Amino acid sequence: MRESIVMKVHYGTALGAVALVIIHVLMRLTVDFHQSLTYEAVVANYQMLGYALLLELILILISVHGFNGLRVILLELRQGSGYEKGVTYGCIAGMVALIAYGSRTIIMTNMGMI
Amino acid sequence: MTDNENKEGIKGMANPGRYGIERVAYWLMRITGLGLLAYFIAHIYETSTILDGPSAWNAMLEMTQTTEGHIFLTLVIGMCVFHTANGIRLVFGHAGYGVGKPGRPDYPYPAKSLNMKGKACIYASIGLAALAMWYGISIMFGV
Repeated sequence: MRESIVMKVHYGTALGAVALVIIHVLMRLTVDFHQSLTYEAVVANYQMLGYALLLELILILISVHGFNGLRVILLELRQGSGYEKGVTYGCIAGMVALIAYGSRTIIMTNMGMI
Repeated sequence: MTDNENKEGIKGMANPGRYGIERVAYWLMRITGLGLLAYFIAHIYETSTILDGPSAWNAMLEMTQTTEGHIFLTLVIGMCVFHTANGIRLVFGHAGYGVGKPGRPDYPYPAKSLNMKGKACIYASIGLAALAMWYGISIMFGV
């Protein structure tokens, strides 16, 4: 993929994540901060389909943005065909693993498998 | 000056004292980005303890409900706000807004892109991050 397209994805995921994280944080502030973090309150949040979808979207957007950012930083430090491929595939693997692990939590909690 | 003195390599690029606040912002952007990625991975792991029941969740939560945990979260808030605000500046800059018009390259060749608009946005990003950290402290410590 062309680097200009990758950077557009980088900025798009950033702007999307900012909007969704603001909603995520506001959900903590709608009730007392400590009350909103109790086990029952958090499970209830996860079991709302809309909120679970919001969390999944945040997970995907930040994972893509974060690991692409890491790739950019690592490519600034050193260049070379093998190194660049290793960094790119390593970051994609990290991103996929994090999305899979986070999705497991969201799906299992949403479906009551706890 | 010898050849070696003229070849600073990565140290020259990394020197935060060179090129003013823009180079400081460059470093802060990368440090906060890496910090936020590390926090995000830890947050995904932390929230996964909900699958192990209330006792595991409460045990994990207790780790963050300490003074050290609150200070750490305050730093995360600061990193998040600076990274967001400075990131928006960069998106506009890469799209060509606020970088100035090309001019004749006269000595000492000041870069048009390193202008007061950019500097003001960087200082505003740092100020916003400080304000958000103060708000976070007031919520978490109940000040």
